Amino acid sequence: MPGIRLRNVCLDYPLYGAYDFSLKRRLLAPLIGETSTARTIRAIDDLSLEATAGARIGLFGPNGSGKSTLLRLIAGVYPATSGQVEVTGSVMPLLGLNAGANLDFVAADNISLLLRIGGRKPTPAIVDEIWAFTELEERMRQLPLRMFSSGMLMRVLFATATAFPADILLLDEWLSVVDENFSAKAEQRLLKLVSMAAIVIIASHDQGLLQRTCTSIIKLDHGHIVSTIPIDQNPARQKDLREKRA
Amino acid sequence: MITFRHLSRRPSVLHIFKVYYPDLFGGTLSVIRAICAGLKHKFAANVLVCSKSGGQRRLIVNEVPVERVRSFGDVLSLPLAPTYPLRLWRRIAEHDLLALHAPFPLADLVFALGFARKRPLVVHWHADIVSHSSLRWLVQPLMRRTLQRANAIIVSDRALASGTPLLREFADKCHVVPFGIDISKYEWPPRRPPHVNGRGRLVLACGRLVPYKGFDVLVRSAVNQSFEVWIVGEGRERERLERLIRELGVQDRVRLLGSVPDDELAKFMCIADVFVMPSVTDAETFGLVQLEAMAAGRPIINTSLDTAVPHVARDGIEAITVPPRDPTRLAEAINSLIADPERRRRMGDAARHRAATKYSTAAFQEGIEEVYRQAIASRQPARTLRSPTTGLLGAMRIAAALAWSDMRHRYVRSLLGPFWMSIQMAIMVAVLGSVIGHFSAGSTISRLPMLALSLTAWNFLNSVVLDSTTALQDSASLIRDRALSPVIFLLQCCFRQALFALHNLSVPLLLWLVLSPMDLKAVLAALPGFVLFVACTFGLSLVVGAVATRFRDLKPITESTLTLAFLSSPVIWSPAMVNQGSSIMRLNPLTHLFAVWREPLANSHVPMISIAYVLVCLAALALAGWLTVVHLRRAAFWI
Repeated sequence: MPGIRLRNVCLDYPLYGAYDFSLKRRLLAPLIGETSTARTIRAIDDLSLEATAGARIGLFGPNGSGKSTLLRLIAGVYPATSGQVEVTGSVMPLLGLNAGANLDFVAADNISLLLRIGGRKPTPAIVDEIWAFTELEERMRQLPLRMFSSGMLMRVLFATATAFPADILLLDEWLSVVDENFSAKAEQRLLKLVSMAAIVIIASHDQGLLQRTCTSIIKLDHGHIVSTIPIDQNPARQKDLREKRA
Repeated sequence: MITFRHLSRRPSVLHIFKVYYPDLFGGTLSVIRAICAGLKHKFAANVLVCSKSGGQRRLIVNEVPVERVRSFGDVLSLPLAPTYPLRLWRRIAEHDLLALHAPFPLADLVFALGFARKRPLVVHWHADIVSHSSLRWLVQPLMRRTLQRANAIIVSDRALASGTPLLREFADKCHVVPFGIDISKYEWPPRRPPHVNGRGRLVLACGRLVPYKGFDVLVRSAVNQSFEVWIVGEGRERERLERLIRELGVQDRVRLLGSVPDDELAKFMCIADVFVMPSVTDAETFGLVQLEAMAAGRPIINTSLDTAVPHVARDGIEAITVPPRDPTRLAEAINSLIADPERRRRMGDAARHRAATKYSTAAFQEGIEEVYRQAIASRQPARTLRSPTTGLLGAMRIAAALAWSDMRHRYVRSLLGPFWMSIQMAIMVAVLGSVIGHFSAGSTISRLPMLALSLTAWNFLNSVVLDSTTALQDSASLIRDRALSPVIFLLQCCFRQALFALHNLSVPLLLWLVLSPMDLKAVLAALPGFVLFVACTFGLSLVVGAVATRFRDLKPITESTLTLAFLSSPVIWSPAMVNQGSSIMRLNPLTHLFAVWREPLANSHVPMISIAYVLVCLAALALAGWLTVVHLRRAAFWI
């Protein structure tokens, strides 16, 4: 069973200035009497969180409140400074806007490469299926990604990332760039993933998006949880969503 | 998902232990045998063990195929079977479930190193390591990793799960399945042979003659008493016990019977008046033999150990529990039972009842089957869910895919792809070859293949190290947004440059084919040295790559150092051209790093000093590389 369990997790993010990247400076510092001031910022502050299969959690908060850092912590990019982090199941992180795509490569190559990075063999059938999901023109497959608009790029990357079920899907500011049509389609796919016992965590500034897609919204500020709002599945909203899809 | 194949076939279970019938008899072995026999309709059992006796490698014991690995004797109670881990590793894929009977550190080695991840593992915890507890620190980490990886741990009693510190860490995985005993094997004999036991004072004990069984305490307790003691079993303590019996002058009443067949033992159990299990350490976790005596309806005397022993036969109900290592109290307990036939009968009946109800074979088999089935079922989805990006193999696969796509991309942009570099190198070889030809006496032409090869090798080392200084920054998106391990991108540098080097290799290969006599033997002899060269290059790139990401000003330093190294090392010139005694030459690790594969190619011997130097460098790089990998988790903060 996939699961995420954070217990009293803290993360001190080191802030490196221009001088901190210099080995010469570092070696000379004791000679010129400069004391090293390791500056850190507490990006995650004593945060506890538990998520089990089927949870769709929205992270909401102002810039710098620790949303992205929290997602990266769960993905295993950053090691926690203290506290316990337990993540079981395969994690599919889609964090930055490029999410590992090489803009110089053509779209088809990027899809193959990203599938390989995820440990899947890119057969032509799978790539075709992914391309069909993006609803982009066939000839664009052989164009380098740098020629794509950000919305198109997002379509390709989202379709690739969600082609195979992952246990835990981490999304950062994702669905906000694509147009409404694709957004509804993406939401549908997310719901399908969740029905396959997955956990989805979305960080976004778009409260409407979070309300539509999540089962609970966590408000973050300065690295700790301000409030957790459970969202009951409003039948009227569900109907609204269905109409949108149709 | 359950496929049809799984339904039609019994799942195969591999039992892993250090020894099996017919080499030894004992409690743990009879448990394994009972599992194999009891579940034979549900699971196909196989046994992999060590054997000192040599003889047949594969044999069938009680319908169960047993494979035996040659052992050269026991060291610290552990068989000295160096090939066991390898054999185990090769057998793992053939079975659906692995059942490790712990403690067995030799097998822990395989599990702790992360082989066998694909198969579910159930650990039967028979005992903790007690006899060589000073070496605990060495095997404990191994055992912990095995338990971490195990799907379930089976213990015979709750006291074990809560009393063993290591098991307490994995309390949620522990399943209590008490051993079972078939009491029908111990039916009351129709008539009691009067000649053996007319006096009603026969005390029976049974077990391997090893120190923890405490038989010496039993022998001591017999001094100045009237009861008779029979000890069944064989072992390395026999001589010492015989001597003790003689010294104490009790040879007329204390007998060592050696090992006896199972049915004979059952008979002994039935004619004995009191059964004693005088074990002295916690190595006795359960005391299967006391359960057998209980099945035969005998009153028990056991010792107050911290294990399941006093829980199986309880003080005052089925047994009298005495402190371990106390001959006086033991003798008192024996005498009190000898003197009271009514109490003996009452305790014996209670014991038989408890064996029949609490420790039935049916319950034991059901319990084990349940745990096995759960382990097999729980593993099936886990296999598909497991992230393929973890582990070194996964990292290498991703790095290879990335490197391959890098190289493909070179071809996309240009017609010849990386061969442009090869052409560039061919020109360099031609120019340098003619220039160097003027410096030395030898023929220029014959030196060209070696020059080209050296340049290719240098090019590889140079580019790998240079690439690695920027690799992590270039792949920042994949590290921070896709959570890939930074090591992958340092591996990618190595793989990518290796692919380019293979292109460049066409130049020396052509020259060699045209200009040199074919000498494949020399090429083969140079291969080990070449592997060392590549390994050192990777180690260097790992360390330089990580440090240069943390400290950005290292990149220009690395660049100038590499240029300097190129000029001061015998790459384009050979050591023969300069003064051999030059200390710079001898101290320069690159001299030796090139010598280990160039000398065999030139059909001369590699100096020992070079091999030693390279190995020391490699060890230092391995250590530094390990430290780097440990700290590389923080690389996400640096980029």
